[in-house]
Amino acid sequence: MKRKRWLIIGVMAALAVITIFVLSSSAIAGKLEDAIAQTPKGLEKGMIDQNAPPGFMGIPGAPRTFWLYGILWGVWVGWIFSSVGAFGGIMAGVGHITVFGLADYGGTFKQTSPTLNKLLTDSIRVCNQYLVGLSALISSLTYYRMGRLVLPLGLCLAVGGILGAYLIPVLTAGKINLSMYIGYFGLVVFAVAAVLFYETTPRGQASKKAAKAAAKAFEDAHIRKTTAGSEQAAEWARGVHVTQWGFTRTVFTFYGAEFSFNPVWPIVGGFVIAAISAFIGVGGGFLYVPFLTSVAGLPMFIVAGTSALAVLVSMITSIFSYMFIKSVPVDFVLIGTELIGIFIGSVLGPVTSKHIPEIWLKRLFVVLAVYVGIGYLTKGFLGHSVLPGM
Amino acid sequence: MLLTLDSYVIRLYQLTGYALVDFFLGSFILAFTAIIIGEVTSSVAFGAVKKYIETSTDEMVRFQNLSIDALAAGEGATYTACNKLANDAFGKTFFMQVSLSAALLWPVPFVLAWMQSRFSDVEFRLIFTEYSVGYICVFIALYAAAYLIFKRIKRRLPYFREMTVTMAEYRKRSREMKSLADLLPPRDKM
Repeated sequence: MKRKRWLIIGVMAALAVITIFVLSSSAIAGKLEDAIAQTPKGLEKGMIDQNAPPGFMGIPGAPRTFWLYGILWGVWVGWIFSSVGAFGGIMAGVGHITVFGLADYGGTFKQTSPTLNKLLTDSIRVCNQYLVGLSALISSLTYYRMGRLVLPLGLCLAVGGILGAYLIPVLTAGKINLSMYIGYFGLVVFAVAAVLFYETTPRGQASKKAAKAAAKAFEDAHIRKTTAGSEQAAEWARGVHVTQWGFTRTVFTFYGAEFSFNPVWPIVGGFVIAAISAFIGVGGGFLYVPFLTSVAGLPMFIVAGTSALAVLVSMITSIFSYMFIKSVPVDFVLIGTELIGIFIGSVLGPVTSKHIPEIWLKRLFVVLAVYVGIGYLTKGFLGHSVLPGM
Repeated sequence: MLLTLDSYVIRLYQLTGYALVDFFLGSFILAFTAIIIGEVTSSVAFGAVKKYIETSTDEMVRFQNLSIDALAAGEGATYTACNKLANDAFGKTFFMQVSLSAALLWPVPFVLAWMQSRFSDVEFRLIFTEYSVGYICVFIALYAAAYLIFKRIKRRLPYFREMTVTMAEYRKRSREMKSLADLLPPRDKM
């Protein structure tokens, strides 16, 4: 336990040192000012009206989000987080792109000021990640306290995660224009819609029912067995044998049942997931959890805290890469108002879930995700949305 | 609203008359205030959904323990089934905790927004290096320090004392979960 504590302290200290060096003061405000200075001034589309009141990030004439709208959208996001789960992060992105009008505003600078256009794209990505990154920090602390954070596995994921979360902002910040970003965001929304849809299909429901039946049957049998004799229980406890340790494969058996685990997978998985998350500006928790349980076949005990740590490490790397290496500015007031809404929404979730069956909630979000997905895909890759309101 | 508070908040940065001391002291008081406000809203939010979290946690612990028992019994298929159910239940508590953590952290962006308006040009050069850090780095470091101090004194404060007891009970419940280490013979356990 002491060794584990020192390991954690060591990792945190290393992160702190990296953070301080990465946090070398930059010209965030200067970069925004430069982008504004390069933009033509005037009242026409794609120009900045210097006499207009400051809006998003203090840009004159930019959409100005009334604080209550930030809270209300946060309530919606928090409600989804607490009732359906991962789709909340997507909805936070939809707010920044569509509801607050940032995409349409940024799009007007595509020809007149590509720098400002791309800076707005990066800022939307960072705003999305802030919401998830701050929360991942709290989750990781909670899991560490609960003793559910498996450091070696988390570090394997983090090694890949840091690489992905560092490379993507460095390689893409300032290069991805808004329409491309919206198109790719639409693709991710479709992927989430497909997962949600599968869970509502008879096949998805049947697998859950079968799992419940298997668990129930085992629970009944197990209770009988353990009450019948502790000798047999003691016999089970002797059956674990680690047959192979290695960098490519770790195998353990238990009374004929063999389980294997390849340490390379968490590194590769961490890289791919962190890269997708950093590119789109989402947390990646919705990808880590199924990856660890389904692809790597690991138990929930390991998955729980480890995914939170992996999200945290890649979020820190990604946010700092965007903000301090590539000097992307963010609107803190917008993030603050959304956070207020998110915790109000998270309280409302359990209240409403008593009255609305989960499957109907999922169906509702499938429809919503397909709508948003089609809207963003067409807007991003065809130049205009085929659906209204996107 | 930030402009309204500005005239009050800036007074925290005029306590001693020494610019450097005032900057760190003012930022520390702001960080500490942000933690207290966040802790209060977080405890209110937790109280409101406590029952739901407990139910989800119980379900998660039950299936997780069953999955480990199934593993111990050599029933691979049952292990997979229970693991899937435990993961579903975990998803509920995980995202609930993620969204609840917003209740703790929401004051931070507002403080940073205010500091951005006041101290965006402030830079501290790191000794022996060519790097310098800005207001965000200073605030994050002071926030972490204030959090550690608050954690120490929390149980002595009237309102937070009760919250600490409630949270301890919840954590105890979560600890009842078995891990793969429970499968090891006693001598091999860490």
